[in-house]
This record gives sequence, structure tokens and C-alpha cells, in this order.
Amino acid sequence: MKVMVVGLDCAAPALMFDKLKDHLPNITRMTENGIYGKLRSTDPPITIPAWMVMATGRSPGELGLYGFRSRVGNSYTQIKIPSSKDIKFDTVWDILGKRNKRSIVVAVPPTYPPKPLPGLMISDFMTPDKDKEFTYPPGLKNEILRDFPDYQFDVKFRKPEKEKIINEIYQMSDTRFKLVEKLLKEKPWDFFFMVEIGIDRLHHAFWRYIDENHHLYEKNDMMRNKFISYFEMVDYHVGKMMEMMDDDTIMMIVSDHGAKGMKGAFAINQWLIKEGYLKLKNEKVAPGASLDEIEVDWSNTKAWAWGGYYARIFLNIKGRENQGLIDPSRVKDEIAVLKEKLKNIRGPNGEEWKTIVFEPEEKYDVVNGDRSDLFVYLDDLNWRAAGTLGYETDYLLENDTGPDDAVHDYDGIYIIYRKNKRIGKKIDSSIYRVAPTILELYNVRKRYGIKGEPMEGIEYVK
Amino acid sequence: MAEDKKYTTVSIPTPLFEKIQQKIKDTGFTSVSDYVTFVLREILAHSSDNEAFSEEDEKKVKERLKSLGYLD
Repeated sequence: MKVMVVGLDCAAPALMFDKLKDHLPNITRMTENGIYGKLRSTDPPITIPAWMVMATGRSPGELGLYGFRSRVGNSYTQIKIPSSKDIKFDTVWDILGKRNKRSIVVAVPPTYPPKPLPGLMISDFMTPDKDKEFTYPPGLKNEILRDFPDYQFDVKFRKPEKEKIINEIYQMSDTRFKLVEKLLKEKPWDFFFMVEIGIDRLHHAFWRYIDENHHLYEKNDMMRNKFISYFEMVDYHVGKMMEMMDDDTIMMIVSDHGAKGMKGAFAINQWLIKEGYLKLKNEKVAPGASLDEIEVDWSNTKAWAWGGYYARIFLNIKGRENQGLIDPSRVKDEIAVLKEKLKNIRGPNGEEWKTIVFEPEEKYDVVNGDRSDLFVYLDDLNWRAAGTLGYETDYLLENDTGPDDAVHDYDGIYIIYRKNKRIGKKIDSSIYRVAPTILELYNVRKRYGIKGEPMEGIEYVK
Repeated sequence: MAEDKKYTTVSIPTPLFEKIQQKIKDTGFTSVSDYVTFVLREILAHSSDNEAFSEEDEKKVKERLKSLGYLD
């Protein structure tokens, strides 16, 4: 038995299973003959930690990963970017490696710097540059750059030249698929796990061309067609990989989260100032300034926030932060009040929002690493959070760091397909079931003792 | 104890040993052990034991993540 996991970052059920179905003959063949459904993502539903939750079966709390940055100690401004070295649990390829299975692992975040494994690894989009060691074994890098000199880890998409960006995303993904097809053909492997980041980039930069209900909807046939032809290219490569399967190979297509139209960005730190939680030394702030660029009156500040697809709020607690203000005995009450206030934030026209606020302990059994005191999904993630400030309004219709059309949604997708099996079942599942499913397919799940159950219906493909 | 000795033994499959023996025939390597040590050192030299990102790398990645909307 061999398993191929094709990760499509941000692939959304409504597009993959419905709206674009007619453009995706191979993927549709997989859903019609396999098992498929929505895949509920992690909290927060973000690339980091979601892919590592998939690869380890561990929660973000266990992994101690809650997003693309962690706080260094209890510092106000120092942050750290996650890397492979922060992953302290075995991934499925580590577990299989210990059982003499060779893996090919491509672009799973975060896998930079690449750790040794029996097999091959190419690190993810957080690799600083092509001049770094981005492969294991190191020699693989030369082979890649020789055969695919245009290989790219990522694209920079928040720039105005839309047509150029969409072509770049296409090129990047097409090249990565060609590279993995070559590896699958030429190298020995028992397990394969890749992540293609292009769909996420495409959604963020071009959602307005396919969503008639988006507040920035633009009717532009050329861009719409380019959007669709990107997906046709992905489907073409899925078909290529299907051709390489024998009867004993199982292909899983998975995504780490879904997508939906972004309604805007809410300047959360401006709101904290108005509510009396955050104090600046000088109230005049240039538009777009971030907290680490201005002087914060920390000793009079009760709370501050980080932006992103969700907001993280930190309390300034005596004995924890070096200019802490809130007495530890008051923390519980302060959190309760702040939670209520956050839940009552209304939209730009006074409309009610469905904001979700939680403390990490409410979601995870174990809470490791540098976590914020509160996690906030503004209007059920429809609004992103801007950590920057200095704006005339708290409601920004564009993102604060450049144009962006989409936010993340809770449900991604999964499909499990085995050649010559006719199953055709739709069963919604959870991201926590991916690692147990993979181990179950290799018959090592029970021996390894991984937490969590394999996906329902897995017996049909076994 | 390994740390008391200058050298220690690792096991490799015999066919691999023989393959290496063939490969280093008429080369500058005098033994399979020499060759294996050389190759392993080469591989280890490429992997860093320290921080994942240098200061400059981290700056680069942060900037990219900012432009992608993950950090703001």
C-alpha cells in the first residue's frame, strides 16, 4: 500500500465540488468514485498550524503553534517565525520512516530547515531563499535547480499588476507539480505528501472576479478565465499523478482550510485605544503604523492585539509582562469584560456581527508555547483584523497591507480515491482524522498509538 | 563508551559495503570507512545546528509574510 497526499492550500468545498466541477474532470472522477467531503479545519483555520496538525494529528495547543508568529518570551514587540525546529512531535513521515518506509515530502509548512528523513524533502514557502539549503538530502537542491531553474517557493501577490501575478502563480504551481511528477517517477518512495500554496494565493488576490456577492466584485472575463484555467491546470496534474497509481495506491486530496470573500479589515488596536485598553505616548500616528513602530505607553496599557486572519489579544499582566498593569487576581474579570465588549462590536453600518472570542484553554486540552490570552474571529472570520493603526475609521474596506479579497473559512476539502474502487460517498470529516487515516492505511495506527480516529468510511478503500 | 574512543562502529548492509568498495577502487579513498566518513561529514556540513533562521533570513521571511497578510 502506498499513499499520496496532495495538499491544496485553501481549496474550498463550494468551488471544488460545485462551482468549478465541470472544469475539474479528474478531481470529479475522484469524488464520484471515492470518499469525499468537507474537512473541518483547526482553530484558528490557518496554514500554520493546520498542515502540521494534519501531519502529526496533534492540536495547535499541543504543537504550541497558533499562527505565523510566536511571541518571544513575554516581550511586547519581539516575535519569532515558526520553523521545522518548533515541531516537537513525530509527523506521519517520521513514523513511517521508523518502519522503513521512504517518503517524498514537498513544501509542507513549516518544514524549513528540512530535517533528515529516509527519503526526500523540499521545504515550504517560508524558505528564505533559493541559496539556502532547502532540500534533504542537500544534493537534491542542485538537481531541482538544474531541471527546474524557475522553481519558486511562493509569489508576492499584494501588488497592483494583477495579470502578472496570476501568471506567476500559475507558473509557480505548474513547475512544482512537474517537479513532483518527476520525483514520483524517478525516485523510490512509499509515502508522498505535497502542499501546493498557489490556490491560497489565487483566492486572496482574485476572489473578486468569481464572487458576485463580493463588495469589490469586478466583472472581468479575462481574469475570471485565468482563475478557472489555473484550476484546470491543477486538475491536469492531479490526472497525471492518477496515471502513476497502481491498484495499491491511494490518493488523498486535502486542504487545510477553505475561503470566503473578505468583507474588510477591522483596526483592532484603534478599537482597543477607544475602549481605554491601549495607551500611546503620542496620539498622532501615521496611517498604517504598527505598534512596534510607535511609542506605546506600556505601563498604562491593559491590552494590545495582533492582526491577521484572526486577532490575538494579549493582556498586560503584573509579574508576567515587564510593565504589567493588570493584577493577576483581576485577570479573569478583565477577560470576561473584554470578551463581552469584543462580541458586541458592530459592523460599519451598525449591523450585528457574529464575533467569536475564546481563550486557548477553551479549545485545546493542552496549551503549549506562546499563546495569546484571547483569540478573536471578527464577524465569524468575515472581517480580518488589522493590527496597524492611524486610520480615520476602524473599518477598512481593503486590507491594511495591500489588496486582499478573501479570508479563511472553517471547512476545507478532502477526497480519498483508490483506483478501480467504486465508492462514491460524501462524508464530512475533520482535519484531526488525516494523520490517523494515513497510519491506518499502512496498518501502523494502533501500534503507534496516535490519538484520534481515522476517517469514517476508510474501510471502503482499504 | 563511544566518547572515550576516537572511533566507533556503525553497521551498514553488506551489499552496500561491497558497492562502495567497488566505487572507491582506484580513487583517493583508502577504505570504505574513509569514504563513508567523508560523505557523512559533507551532508552534516550542510545542515545547521543553530537557529532555523539567521537574522537576515528572518527579516526576509517576515516581510514576505507581511505582504501575504499573515502579519500586520
